[in-house]
Amino acid sequence: MTASPRPNGPASPRRRVNAALWRHEIGRVGWVGWSAPFAAVVVAVAFATLANASGTPRPYVAGVLLTGLEAFVPLAVGLVAVTAIARDVGRELHLALPRSYLATLGRRVAVVAGSGAVASITFWVALLGTGWWSGPGPATATLVWLAPTLALAGLALLVATLGRSVVIATTTVAALWVGQQIYAASMAASAWGRPFLLFLTSRVGTPDGWLTNRIVLSLAGLAMVAATAGLIHRRLLDEEER
Amino acid sequence: MIRYEFLMQIRKRSLWISTAVLAVALVLLQGDRGPRHVPVDTPARIVMTNWAVLFGLLLPLGFGMVLADRLVRDRRLGVGRILDSLPAGPQAMVLGKYVGSVGATATAGLAAMLAAAGAEFVTRRDVALFGWALVAFALVMLPGLLFVGAFAVVTPLLITAPLFRILFVGYWFWGNMLNPIYLPSLTGTLLTPIGDYAASWLLGETALYAGADGFLPWLRPDPGATATAASIGLLLLLALIVVLLAGPPLYRRQQQAA
Repeated sequence: MTASPRPNGPASPRRRVNAALWRHEIGRVGWVGWSAPFAAVVVAVAFATLANASGTPRPYVAGVLLTGLEAFVPLAVGLVAVTAIARDVGRELHLALPRSYLATLGRRVAVVAGSGAVASITFWVALLGTGWWSGPGPATATLVWLAPTLALAGLALLVATLGRSVVIATTTVAALWVGQQIYAASMAASAWGRPFLLFLTSRVGTPDGWLTNRIVLSLAGLAMVAATAGLIHRRLLDEEER
Repeated sequence: MIRYEFLMQIRKRSLWISTAVLAVALVLLQGDRGPRHVPVDTPARIVMTNWAVLFGLLLPLGFGMVLADRLVRDRRLGVGRILDSLPAGPQAMVLGKYVGSVGATATAGLAAMLAAAGAEFVTRRDVALFGWALVAFALVMLPGLLFVGAFAVVTPLLITAPLFRILFVGYWFWGNMLNPIYLPSLTGTLLTPIGDYAASWLLGETALYAGADGFLPWLRPDPGATATAASIGLLLLLALIVVLLAGPPLYRRQQQAA
């Protein structure tokens, strides 16, 4: 007769291994990895506080807070995600193990993405509770941060994999981010540019085509993540940046 | 030390790829007000200053990214102990790495300016374009690069390279391009590393926001030769403070922690 695990009994070995793996990856990503999205929120709140104290009108201050959610947190997740899949001194050893290396990289990116999601949701709830929220209603509010996060993280991972370089990946994401901030008005005004504008909510609001923009960005991000997963075994990043 | 750092950095593939990609993107996306659309009879000084302003928008982002791991990579690669055994103190190490790596990175910026001068020469047939490319690079781009480079080399010792890169991107937009009317910002002050004051002086009109009303009004004099000299002097002074005063103790701390 075999004993089945009791509901409140000790966890199964498989579950214990999985929990240990996640704990290890959280530790490996490091304090910078999981705290970067929260740091982005802190920066947005600091800017908004400074703006409020210097007499900036309330709508601009609310816009800064919305920018924190739509622009700062996705930037942090995108740049840290590159670091999460680069630099692994134990890579060759891991490739010899029965566990999939792709799953390991996925766990590392998931730690960063999860941290971004927790920071974003917490920040959104806080803005809603304090009356500073100026974005769309609760049904679509998630898309304010999720769509640009997927797009920037997907781009960062794909460029890092194709270029095999942290510098090229982070520069691409940084240039796209700053470039879209500079050309936001032109992009929002053009029919081809609007679906790809990362900051449509904070720079324009929720005009016609907002949902299309969010869906396009989300799908593009998911497609780039999928492409990265397909390519990464053939183009693992080097330990030393070239 | 300086020579080795220079050679290591200048052979770095990612420096040249990121510079080329950003420069081409800026050329293609410059719009009607960009230097490509300046009338043919425009003086070479104006043409090349416009190119320096255009490149100054995004090229420093790539330079900051590529410089961010210069002091932290030695420990990661396991050569820190060997470097510690050299007869050079933390100040010489930090200064050597700074001068060598920033010098090589500046070479990529200068190459972009000379390439723009070459392209302009095809249509304008004015040799002075190359001379003004050097002047615009030295006055508009180089002081900002020395300032950004100092923070990019030293700050990761304190907050790690990934966190520096995130903060640097946000700072670059906030401190250089965000209109100071909307939010308190360093944009348009003497501490703007994008080279706004020098470009405004060379152009004879405001390039971006130099001297615009806003936060810290005492740092916003009208553009001109004196303001340009003050801006360059302040940027270089801050860069020296970071490299010579903040860098060595942070480097020593990293040595002791290893």
